[in-house]
Amino acid sequence: MQLGFFFDQTRCTGCYACVVACKDWHDVPAGPASWQRVVTIERGKFPDVFVAYLATSCYHCENPACVAACPVSAITKREQDGIVVVDGDKCQGRDNCDLCLQACPYNAPQFGAEPNARMQKCDLCLDRLAQGKQPICVAACPTRALDAGPIDELRAKYGGRTEAEGFAYSANLRPAVVFKAKMAEQAEVTA
Amino acid sequence: MSAQESGERAIMTTCCSHCGGACGLKVYVKDGVITRIETDDADEPQARACLKGRAYRQRVYHPGRLLHPLKRVGERGEGKFERISWDEALDTVAGEIRRVRDTYGPQAILLKMSVGDMNFLHTGAMVADKLLCMAGGYSSTWGYFSYEGGTFAELTTYGTLSTQSSRHDFPNSRMIIMWGWNPASTVQDTNTTWFLAQAREAGCRIVSVDPRHTDSTATFAHQWIPIRPGTDTAMMLAMAHVMIQDGLQDQAFLDRYTYGFDRFKAYVTGEEDGVPKTPQWAEPITGVAAPVIENLAREYAITKPAALIAGIGPGRSARGEQYHRAAITLSAMTGNIGIPGGSAAQRSWPAGLLPFPFMMMGIPEMLQNPWEAQQPAAKDMLPLRRFWPWGMGGVHVAQMADALLEGRSGGYPADYKLLYIASTSYPNQYLNVNKHVRAMKSPSLEFIVMHEQFMTPGAKLADIVLPCSTFLERNDIAQWSSTWFYGFQNKVIEPLGESKSQLEICRELAKRLDILHYFDQTEEEALRAMVDGCADISDFDEFRTKGLHKMHPDQPHVAFREQIEDPENNPFPTPSGKIEIYSQSIEQMDNPELPPIPKYLPNWEDLNDPLAAKYPLQLITTHFKGRAHSQFHKVPWIEELMPQTALINASDAGARGIRDGDPVRVFNERGQMIIPAKVSERMMPGVVDVPQGAWFDPDENGVDRGGCANVLTNDAYSPGGACATNTALVEVEKAR
Repeated sequence: MQLGFFFDQTRCTGCYACVVACKDWHDVPAGPASWQRVVTIERGKFPDVFVAYLATSCYHCENPACVAACPVSAITKREQDGIVVVDGDKCQGRDNCDLCLQACPYNAPQFGAEPNARMQKCDLCLDRLAQGKQPICVAACPTRALDAGPIDELRAKYGGRTEAEGFAYSANLRPAVVFKAKMAEQAEVTA
Repeated sequence: MSAQESGERAIMTTCCSHCGGACGLKVYVKDGVITRIETDDADEPQARACLKGRAYRQRVYHPGRLLHPLKRVGERGEGKFERISWDEALDTVAGEIRRVRDTYGPQAILLKMSVGDMNFLHTGAMVADKLLCMAGGYSSTWGYFSYEGGTFAELTTYGTLSTQSSRHDFPNSRMIIMWGWNPASTVQDTNTTWFLAQAREAGCRIVSVDPRHTDSTATFAHQWIPIRPGTDTAMMLAMAHVMIQDGLQDQAFLDRYTYGFDRFKAYVTGEEDGVPKTPQWAEPITGVAAPVIENLAREYAITKPAALIAGIGPGRSARGEQYHRAAITLSAMTGNIGIPGGSAAQRSWPAGLLPFPFMMMGIPEMLQNPWEAQQPAAKDMLPLRRFWPWGMGGVHVAQMADALLEGRSGGYPADYKLLYIASTSYPNQYLNVNKHVRAMKSPSLEFIVMHEQFMTPGAKLADIVLPCSTFLERNDIAQWSSTWFYGFQNKVIEPLGESKSQLEICRELAKRLDILHYFDQTEEEALRAMVDGCADISDFDEFRTKGLHKMHPDQPHVAFREQIEDPENNPFPTPSGKIEIYSQSIEQMDNPELPPIPKYLPNWEDLNDPLAAKYPLQLITTHFKGRAHSQFHKVPWIEELMPQTALINASDAGARGIRDGDPVRVFNERGQMIIPAKVSERMMPGVVDVPQGAWFDPDENGVDRGGCANVLTNDAYSPGGACATNTALVEVEKAR
């Protein structure tokens, strides 16, 4: 089985509730490491502007580049659910190696501000999944723009679209995500 | 590891941060310390918290939390304090209240309170009011800082402030106009954005009229119409002109339910003053092209039901009441009042219904203030305004600094000697903050006491600072007027340090002032009595355990449904019993600045002001999604996402050699600040936004380094009483 995310980009207001909820739940201090991020995409000139938000964490790729890149096998893909996890004790630390970060096109590997920070990242809230709960970002979203679950079920429920503003699907890595995208050509501009 | 395995306990409670939401928080505690926070995960609609609620752990345990009573030892504003005991603090405050009252009379005590915490038992505004009423009375200010323009418009046009439909009526709308309204940042009722998303997905057309391309605009609006600040009324009049010219107004509705439309029509068509208020007339005023106005007018007139939501930001302007009255008039012309999916041009802020749930919850009516009850109403105030909350004071809230400085020699009702501040970030959140600082530093103000959780800019100026607990440190009940649930605010942890709830503080002061029966119940007795008096909740213990009591009404609340369905038996509480487009209560005020029909009148500090040669940019001071007014300042998880900046259009920035992130000086005659610029295409040229709520932090030269918007705002108010937070001229330059 492969677990993954659904993101409805048309509903995201860029409110950051998911980002803060994730930091609180996983006790990640303020600083450069943020398992969940919201990217703002802005284009155009006043008054014809286009804005979209991309809530992004780790897409738990079916063929994860980070796993292949890690020289000490600190990153593994779980057989039972496809979640990509990192063992911080094995990681050599950013002062020695950032091959996972270089390999990942989605900026999922995160490093804190501490010296030789070990890689950390979204684990799809393994602890919550074990209790039958949704990941904290999904449960946090005020506009219910996020979902998580078996990717086959998400595709059946939401369709199989893999494009969104600010996101480029890698056919090689096969990120486990589907979208309802907000594309510029769909937006009516104004004034 | 599950919560049980880790020894954590989850307690359901309700957020409380004055944003119009009362969202669910499930707070995990281990060994008396909060470990993490979830939100409501029970039945839909879940009351999901925003980033502020999610970051509350960092606010509670912030190193800046005040943990002990403090006494000033340096000069006011210097920030030098020493820790004192509660006994010393309370004895000092009670002694000063007694001394000032007995020496100068109760009117020399000015209580400035607001609603920085919103709940039924411990909220500072209520407990301090009760204390000082029982101590013999006090002076207050009149006017809602946030929406007095809307208040004036609603009382004169509808006769009531109960003008809001509930948010879950949005999916019934076929069109929503978000006029200066950005709920993605302001929240204003839990799930507002969720209901907007549902409306859009059901096919509702959404248009945003706003100088700024907000997050709400980006997500929900099909069309963005940027408009010059302070000119909203002109655009609305032009829309009315289009409807009248095309015969699109709902004449049957106007005939049956409104009073004085013909007078308005004569003004709009130019019959009254020779100036037809056409889209071509409005275009150079508003910066909105005439065809855009025409299209919106036609679309709004023929799409039914349609909800015009009048954001309260445009109402905080030099002519705020005209904007709200024009919005109501458009809602009447389109026949959208009192029907599902429509809107009575509802003011976006839901608190208009507040007195209603307060009484419903069994809270006794606020005591009469023995001083103010005997004073005449404020002379320039709408007479019937006096009978609504924040209507008794003799000084308008915008004039508070002036009143403190000038007293009776300036024509104010009293000489003020003691300033008591509770549940409000005075003076940070008040117009022209530098003037307030001068007033607080004046020796004529003999004593200043402040309830606070942090060493705010105001606390730095106080003589005694009393440390307050947060809502996670005591039990209470919360409810927002147009939400569909009550929240039980469970106490989650013991109060930090020596902090106390504001009720406890005032109870201790009451004892020292020999006030009998200030509050004789225990906290639990009081909360049980409230629930006993509340028909919506049958089981106190279940309510307390669940934290949220949801009501699931069959139908959304629709404002004025009864008045529209059965007008004979349900007249509007106005002199005519109708919606008064021509207001007889305004006519009686006989003030040329307040015409009985909505009009576009000259502003101060707009682009026609000679001052614009020196200060060519219009300032708006919007709400910031990372703060509830000044609360959540310097909470690290929030601050790293959203630093305080001055938002400026790329063309204005380019003309000044400013690049994104550059420190810029924003200034006018009233003050100056240096903060980073945020250069954007999402802001209208000619306008700059300094979001309100950042803390005033003057350097040795008096330059604010914190980015407090009120360094720049004008302490004047509109003829109807609006605080003009969005009417000010500034210049911006690259900081040297």
